[in-house]
Amino acid sequence: MDSAARARYTHGVAEIAANMSIFGNIGTGWVDKGRTWRLYFAMLWSVARVAVQPRYWPRTTRDVFARQLLFTGVEAWKFIALIACMVGLAIVVQSQVWLTKLGQTAHLGPILVMVVVRELGPLLVNFIIIGRSGTAMAIEMGNMQISGEVRALDAQGLDPFTYLVLPRVAGAAVSIFCLTIIFIVVAFFSGYLFGVLTGAQTGHPMRFVNSIFGALQQADVLNVLVKTLVCGAMTGVICCAEGLSVTTASTEVPQAATRAVVRSTATLFIISALVSLVTYF
Amino acid sequence: MDTVSILRFEDVSLAAQPPYALDLAEVSLELNAGELGLVLTGPATEGLPLADLASGLVAPDTGLVRFQDEDWQDRHPDTATAARGNIGRIFEKRGWISNLDVDENITLAQRHHTTRPAAELEAEALALAKQFGFDDLPRVRPALLRTGELRRAAWIRALLGTPLLVLLEHPLRDLPAHAAAPLVAAVQSAAARGAAVLWIAESFQGLETFRPVFSKVWTLEGARLNAAKE
Repeated sequence: MDSAARARYTHGVAEIAANMSIFGNIGTGWVDKGRTWRLYFAMLWSVARVAVQPRYWPRTTRDVFARQLLFTGVEAWKFIALIACMVGLAIVVQSQVWLTKLGQTAHLGPILVMVVVRELGPLLVNFIIIGRSGTAMAIEMGNMQISGEVRALDAQGLDPFTYLVLPRVAGAAVSIFCLTIIFIVVAFFSGYLFGVLTGAQTGHPMRFVNSIFGALQQADVLNVLVKTLVCGAMTGVICCAEGLSVTTASTEVPQAATRAVVRSTATLFIISALVSLVTYF
Repeated sequence: MDTVSILRFEDVSLAAQPPYALDLAEVSLELNAGELGLVLTGPATEGLPLADLASGLVAPDTGLVRFQDEDWQDRHPDTATAARGNIGRIFEKRGWISNLDVDENITLAQRHHTTRPAAELEAEALALAKQFGFDDLPRVRPALLRTGELRRAAWIRALLGTPLLVLLEHPLRDLPAHAAAPLVAAVQSAAARGAAVLWIAESFQGLETFRPVFSKVWTLEGARLNAAKE
């Protein structure tokens, strides 16, 4: 092999090696992502498995669960109700006005159920809880990890998974389910009320209620259950996992919180879309 | 009376990785029920993994750590967690849950591992608190308590209930030299009830008059523990 051919050969090998390195890096990134999501689902499965066993619910865990319900559910309901009023004003009133104009008031129930119950209610409530409680969860876990509190719990025989993760995940899921029901009720009630106040042809209240209940199907109930309980639990899992992944420096805490919000939001949209596809097509 | 082995280190070695700062090499020690052991680490030593090894929180590189005659590594995670509920501990630093009050921190492990009524736990904690110079249980966040008071509150937490093993990491740090007497008395009571006690201190300072209390004394020299009295 002459020197030019040797140079071409060497260059080619170097290029292949460089390309391999790029593919290797991409592959490593995907493998890492895969591991992370596998961890989330493993945690979700573990939570589901231990949540139904009373021995994993000693009074300390029940206390944390109650505090989580208070923080995520009770303290958030006013804000959720406010947003629901705005949605009621925007969507319910608009639907009433335009369907009345078009003479299609028979479709009011199905349209409202489709928009508010199936999609907007669960999505907005999850979204608000991710921003309000998810970040708090991730930051709290991260700070506990940095300050050695997780280790102190472990040393006293309090498994961080059952004492910290389980009640937060369960609390987030139950809170999001209850808040979604509140959201839907308040949105419809306020929408009807605004309709009356603005002079829209809202009809008799019972006709409005009947049109909504008449449009509700079993699939809608299943849809709400999955989108609130599963998405809420996933939010709890992702936020706890990211918070607990903090290892050395307090500067990792905000990064973990950001990752938690981004991944929880992405998961929410993916699960919501999948559930809608599976339920209605 | 038969001796009941509570804690046994068998040729334990561990190369220090953060958060630990000190290596351990071929450490062997045994504590039976009712025994008080003292480990003297020498001045300015922090990050000794001895208590974490004794609690099964970290696995040794080589050797075995047995608690109640069972190797921590052989235990199922759930049983290991439950076993740690029988260990009372004063941590070298930190060790408090910041979003719970000190009194809640004190009773936390007992509330988790037992079904004892809260009032009964509080009464026992209060009795210990009075023994250690408090008028009442501290009902504030740990961040609001002075370091010395927090250290004494840690005494209450470590001795609450009926621990089988009491691990005291520098329990007199941040306290005046004469403060040891009530703690030594409480520790002796715990030992009389069948607990094994491992006291880790830099030196005999503050414990001069209590030397006879300790049935076993080891000194840390480099990475090795040498028996000074056994």
